[in-house]
Amino acid sequence: MAVTQISVFAENLPGHLRRILDVLELAGINVHGFLAADTGDCGIVRFVLDQPELGLTVLQNAGHAATRTEVLCVRLPDKPGELARVLGVIADAGINVVYSYSLISTLIAIHVKDIAATEAVLRHQPIELVSQNDMVW
Amino acid sequence: MTSNFFAPEIETASRERIRALQLEKLKNQVAWAYDRVPWYKARFQERGLTPADIRSLADIARLPFTDKQVLRDTYPYGLCAVPLDDVLRLHSSSGTTGKPIVIGFNQHDLDIWSDCVARMVAMVGVTRADRVQMAFGYGMFTGGFGLHYGCEKLGCMIVPAGSGNTERHLMMIEDYKTTVLISTPSYALHMCEVGEAHGVDWRASSLRVGLFGGEPCTPGLKREIECRMHIVCTDNYGLTELSGPGVGGECLHSREHNHIAEDQFLWEIIDPHTGEPLPEGSEGELVLSTLDRQAFPMLRYRTHDLTTITTEPCACGRTHARMAKVRARTDDMLIVRGTNIFPTQVEDALSVIQGVTPHYRIVLDNETGLDRMTVMVELKPEAISDSFEEMDRFRHHVVDRLRQTLLVTPVVKLIEPKGIERSFGKSKRVEDRRAKL
Ligand SMILES: [Zn+2]
Repeated sequence: MAVTQISVFAENLPGHLRRILDVLELAGINVHGFLAADTGDCGIVRFVLDQPELGLTVLQNAGHAATRTEVLCVRLPDKPGELARVLGVIADAGINVVYSYSLISTLIAIHVKDIAATEAVLRHQPIELVSQNDMVW
Repeated sequence: MTSNFFAPEIETASRERIRALQLEKLKNQVAWAYDRVPWYKARFQERGLTPADIRSLADIARLPFTDKQVLRDTYPYGLCAVPLDDVLRLHSSSGTTGKPIVIGFNQHDLDIWSDCVARMVAMVGVTRADRVQMAFGYGMFTGGFGLHYGCEKLGCMIVPAGSGNTERHLMMIEDYKTTVLISTPSYALHMCEVGEAHGVDWRASSLRVGLFGGEPCTPGLKREIECRMHIVCTDNYGLTELSGPGVGGECLHSREHNHIAEDQFLWEIIDPHTGEPLPEGSEGELVLSTLDRQAFPMLRYRTHDLTTITTEPCACGRTHARMAKVRARTDDMLIVRGTNIFPTQVEDALSVIQGVTPHYRIVLDNETGLDRMTVMVELKPEAISDSFEEMDRFRHHVVDRLRQTLLVTPVVKLIEPKGIERSFGKSKRVEDRRAKL
């Protein structure tokens, strides 16, 4: 059920993110969400893509240092309190969110150490998990 | 493993015979320089010396040193000992500042040079049956023509492709079934990577030996190319001022040393600070004198290379002295917070860390008042992780390893794979931005 995230190791230099995005655009890959934070000199930029495997291949072929990770993807009803509710479920289960970011629409990506265990926790709640197949639109 | 010789008689002569030959040639070379080069005559006279004062090999220590600066001061023809009409070729080394160093060769010098190169190439098992692909640029640099004529003298087929155009090189290896590659080590690695990307199976390739030069070749880089290209990687010792390649080369029995062509070059090891000769086996600066050079005789040339020399017999059967591969130069030593650091130490430390390539850059600055050394280290693709924490842990691991070797704590920046520029000439790996106080 988890979604494949593509992480790209990128030096924090002007134009680097742009070059990554150019590669994705050229291959007709759609970016549904990304996380680029001020992580110092060696940045890791994370992407949720409609075609992650193709994205990984084209990025690597273009010489970028890209790798694959799993994240959980949840669709939230667009109303107050929903984000708090989902993250509250995870917190109540004693699970630490390593990082999380929002995608387009009201989707959020969540990375935790144990994807399967967290998925199980969320499944017991009225929470809409999104699969990779749902990412193509 | 049998040894392959180009000139077995001289290469296996007894030590006594070599010493006797050296003394005879030294006397002639000193007289040749004194009689024909006003600069040498003036330096001898300042010391009250004449060529007749050279009675033993040890007497060479009475002569003045020469160095790059002397060649600059006398540029271009001040040290030339023959009429210019007899000079057939000029070579020069790229000066980073100002004028280059230039030396000339007459026919006699070119013959000796190609002989020395032929010996050196034969030392690593190359024979007339080999097909040699030249990826050095021809031109003023001694490497291209030096190796070209040496290999030709040995009887090899040469493909004089020159530098650049990697895809054409790959095609030539495939089509002409070349067996020996002459290039800089970083260009060989580049060729290897491009080949891999094009689906070349290096295991099945005809290439079997790499003759590297033009820039330092670290053991780590050699190992990497050997593993990936499946060739024997060799390098040799030479410098433009003394003719370029052919001063010394490694044999297959003693890969960490270079046999010096002792019938052509007289070596000394000196203390780089005092200039005093050091006993055999000590580490010090290599000083070389030509023994049979007509156009540009060089006496007591300070190489600034640090090495140790042994005359112990070598398993290959050669009797000529062996110098340890040069891993440091007196003039590329960096002083960081009072500690001596050689860039080669960084290379050595990186070569044993999993997950990094042999490519790096060093930047020195003192913006904060204190010396700061930043080492940019290139990651291998498999070392990339999604976790910032993990990357940071890895960075600390690299810092620790460098600190253990350098005794100075550097700042380490991790650079993405292929993020550090490959240099195909002399590597420009150190940038000193420190403001001089
Ligand atoms: Zn040997």
